[in-house]
Amino acid sequence: MPRLRTAIPALLLAGLLLFAWAGPWLRGTDPDALDLAATLAPASAAHPLGTDESGRDILARLMAGGRVSLAVGALASGVALLLGTLIGSLAGWRGGWMDALLMRLTDAAMAVPVLFVALAVLSLYGSRMALLIGVIGATSWPGIARLVRAEVSALRRAEFVHAARGLGGRGERIVLRHLLPQLIPTLTVAASLGVAYAILTESALSFLGLGVQPPTASWGNMLTGAQASLYTTPRLAIWPGLMILLTALACNGLGEALRRRST
Amino acid sequence: MRRLALGVAILFGCKSGGAAPGTLQLALINDPILNPVLAPDIGSILVNKVIFPGLVRPDEHLRPEPDLAESWTISPDGRTYTFKLRAGVKWHDGQPFRARDVQFTFEQILDANSGSMLWSDFSMIDRVEAADSLTVTFRLKTPSASLLTLLGYNAGIIPEHAFGGKPILDNTAFNRGKPIGTGPFRVVSATPGSSLILEANPDYFGSPPRLRQVVFRLVPDGSAQVAGLRAGELDLVTIEPASLPGVRGAPGIVVRDATVPQHYFVGFNQRLARFKPAAVRRALDLSINRRAIVDGVLKGSADLPVGTIPVALAQWFADSLPRIPYDTAQARQLFASAGWRRGAGGLLRNAAGEPFRFTLLVDKGNPSREQAALAVLQDLKAMGADATLQTLEFSSLVRDYLQPGRFEALLIWWTTPPDPDQFSYYTTGQINNNVAYSNRRADSLLLAGRGETDSLRRRAVYLAFQALEREDPPVLVLFYPRELMAMSARLTGVPRLGIRDALRHLESFGFR
Amino acid sequence: MGYSRFVLRRLLQGLAVLWIVTTATFILLHLAPGGPAILADPKLSPVERQAIEHRLGLDRPLPVQYLAWHRNLLRGDLGKSYLYQTPAGRTVLERVPNTLLLTGLALTLSLLIALPLGSWAGRHPGKPADRLLELASFTALSLPTFWFGIVLIILFAALWHLLPAGGMATPGLESSLADRARHLVLPVLVLALPGTAELLRYVRSSVASASTAPHVTAARARGIGEPAVSRRHILRNALLPVVTVIGLQAPLLVSGAAITETIFSWPGMGRLGVEAALGRDYPVVMTITLAVAAAVILINLLLDLVYPLVDPRIRA
Repeated sequence: MPRLRTAIPALLLAGLLLFAWAGPWLRGTDPDALDLAATLAPASAAHPLGTDESGRDILARLMAGGRVSLAVGALASGVALLLGTLIGSLAGWRGGWMDALLMRLTDAAMAVPVLFVALAVLSLYGSRMALLIGVIGATSWPGIARLVRAEVSALRRAEFVHAARGLGGRGERIVLRHLLPQLIPTLTVAASLGVAYAILTESALSFLGLGVQPPTASWGNMLTGAQASLYTTPRLAIWPGLMILLTALACNGLGEALRRRST
Repeated sequence: MRRLALGVAILFGCKSGGAAPGTLQLALINDPILNPVLAPDIGSILVNKVIFPGLVRPDEHLRPEPDLAESWTISPDGRTYTFKLRAGVKWHDGQPFRARDVQFTFEQILDANSGSMLWSDFSMIDRVEAADSLTVTFRLKTPSASLLTLLGYNAGIIPEHAFGGKPILDNTAFNRGKPIGTGPFRVVSATPGSSLILEANPDYFGSPPRLRQVVFRLVPDGSAQVAGLRAGELDLVTIEPASLPGVRGAPGIVVRDATVPQHYFVGFNQRLARFKPAAVRRALDLSINRRAIVDGVLKGSADLPVGTIPVALAQWFADSLPRIPYDTAQARQLFASAGWRRGAGGLLRNAAGEPFRFTLLVDKGNPSREQAALAVLQDLKAMGADATLQTLEFSSLVRDYLQPGRFEALLIWWTTPPDPDQFSYYTTGQINNNVAYSNRRADSLLLAGRGETDSLRRRAVYLAFQALEREDPPVLVLFYPRELMAMSARLTGVPRLGIRDALRHLESFGFR
Repeated sequence: MGYSRFVLRRLLQGLAVLWIVTTATFILLHLAPGGPAILADPKLSPVERQAIEHRLGLDRPLPVQYLAWHRNLLRGDLGKSYLYQTPAGRTVLERVPNTLLLTGLALTLSLLIALPLGSWAGRHPGKPADRLLELASFTALSLPTFWFGIVLIILFAALWHLLPAGGMATPGLESSLADRARHLVLPVLVLALPGTAELLRYVRSSVASASTAPHVTAARARGIGEPAVSRRHILRNALLPVVTVIGLQAPLLVSGAAITETIFSWPGMGRLGVEAALGRDYPVVMTITLAVAAAVILINLLLDLVYPLVDPRIRA
């Protein structure tokens, strides 16, 4: 049963990645080609899922959007992981005033409303992908930092650390060689949950017009574009919403399964 | 358990939506500032049109008809306008309306430090005099043929006695909750973030209002407005063409369109050498398939253009000129005549081998505009232009690109009063001439049209201007959008106008 | 280390954090291109533009504006909203009760659902009902909530006419409790969904691990009845992580309500924040930032203060 618990979400995730990246190989329709004569068209041979409000092929856009959303999700989660681990392990290892300073910094980061940061930063340099990833990552690192700090400060007192110290090992090397590997289970869980959070946040930001900018497709801005035709052509919103749901489900499921494995 | 069931029954039992009979429910997107001189946004402007009538108002053909003014005379040189005001008009607090109020309103409008948002519309006014309690005279610095239309646009009259000599900006009670106007409805309560309730004014000087109450509900989101309309919580909303599928065929809802004085265009920055020759701009004009955009993006709710004067201004529109054609063959010839030919790789290049490159800017958040921009881009790329799209937040587009002239091409629009005067938009060196268009003949035509009070002669001037625009287009006019209004099928008495002007006739709205 | 000294130090640190947050917001706001929405009218002439900038104090150099903001703050003057022409403090304060109503009810709903269901599931792990619950909470956590909200509005309001499409109350019926209740149903549901799911999982896992703890097994072996075991041993221990999660959720509820409030046209602080940010209404943005940051810092502080009292093992 536990095998299945990890396998199902992992397979789902793999399937989604394949869909987004390998899909265009099998089917080369241009996701940006407008066809104003055939907007909101139902499923057909040329467009298996129909066309959207500008006549673009929905299936191709789902794949393209998938590449964008998944990439944003993974990279943003990576940024959060990096920052969080760095700050958290520094705080947990050194303790004292460094710990207090970094934890207060973490508090500050959690206290800043996400929306304002996103708006200001994204308009200062343009809504570029890199910035979007940075902003989303910057709002989720505090949670990881707290987690890592708690673990590191607990591990600090562990016996094998005393032993390593006794053998003359320097602080940083101890952290890298011995502590971080202990953190991998926690970090893996955090990473998968982080991807889910990042994808959901990107779609929410797109809803407010701050996420990935059209005409580049992302599942989030496909949802926004589908709002106007919700009454007559709900499938425009159902597909991207379903994709987001499945991805988040897979990531959350994987994270949970890994967490259970490690306890 | 039983109480829970009862609670659920109460919650779901009552049918939702609808209001007391004789109540009209309209949508607002933000808390309004209830002062026509200070109103900075369209939401406030619309509400103020109901509460604060002006001297005149637009009729069904967008021509000025008497409102607070009964009659008027214009001096032959176009520099003096004298208005006879209606007698017996009362403010919502019972005080009598006098000429001094008109004078006071314009003193505020012309004072740039009062917070006035109408200064530039009326900067040609030298002074306003109140000869007696019912006569007002406007003395202008330069002759103006558009003053009458402008007076009927956003210039609602505010009462002098409500402000007690203090700056109008400081009277928060008036501006945010208890305004005093002369309109057919007066404000009863204002709940910030939620609603504004008005009731019929029994002392209204025009025909008695058919409605008992008007409620403005705060619904900032477009799709929420459509949902509200369908749920019976709103009786009239303006919609984008993209929302048409959501309201067409919905029970109890009808959709009407009206022409409005708006023109959407793509402006090319003529400070840049490649966009200067008229032949290039004509070529660009002929390269765009406007029919496809109107039908595909706007679902047919727009009119094909002739020039920058929209079809809604029937009196001035050059209906004898053909609409701008879609002719890629001729476009290619025109490009060639200006030195641009398709080279290797399909790109248009000049003699020096430089590609015809530009970035098209458009504001984000409006699906119709974004799609139109994409369609334009596709058409121009098909001609060989090396073009890319960039979407920006509107305020950034305006402040950082449009006004400093730091753009190559952008897609934007002008909403004008129902007057053909476009002097400030297309005359050399004028503040709103953001594309830096410069044509001597256009300059003299626009200057003449501004001050020509004889309507026949004025029409001739603007016909000549529109013909000139075909030879030397200041911008690429894309279409004249029609405003779409989705409303309850029971609503009657709504004039066939855009919402800005329809709301000036709110006393005639009623339910079957 | 004395407890009161600990409190004092944390309070001072909290103030420092507040200052950093507001300074960062100020800088980001003023450096962002575009400027206030009222200046974004393409038809504004240079004369009007200058007049507006002067009136709002925006023509002064940035450091001067920054100092002026602090000076005014100390006097209790948070500035005047550009969009609404009312004092920023009052504008925000008007909206706070509306957001608190929404988030308070959402939190209460979460607790009412998550505590009983979670503890039941924790004591009966592996049963089909438990698995179903697990799947349901996963789905709830993976749902884009704004999309869910829009779907609910379409179904319940636009198509079936069962519930209102938005707003706090029907205009004119503001005093009717039933009317207010009907307007609360959908937004509270949407807001409470992810929090309930997360809480459910936490309660379940801590109850599950507490259920099998040695001292609980021992109590059972001694013949103490199940209900007593439940109350005394399992739930008490489960409470600690639950308190943590609530503490983490509370600030998210406050600022995350922004999207829910936008969809349901709810006149709350979150929606005001979004409008003010998009319209660059600097005074209101600064005020909301201040309020939200202060609230979050306070909640974190309270949590950190409560912890040592509850679990003596964790003294910072």
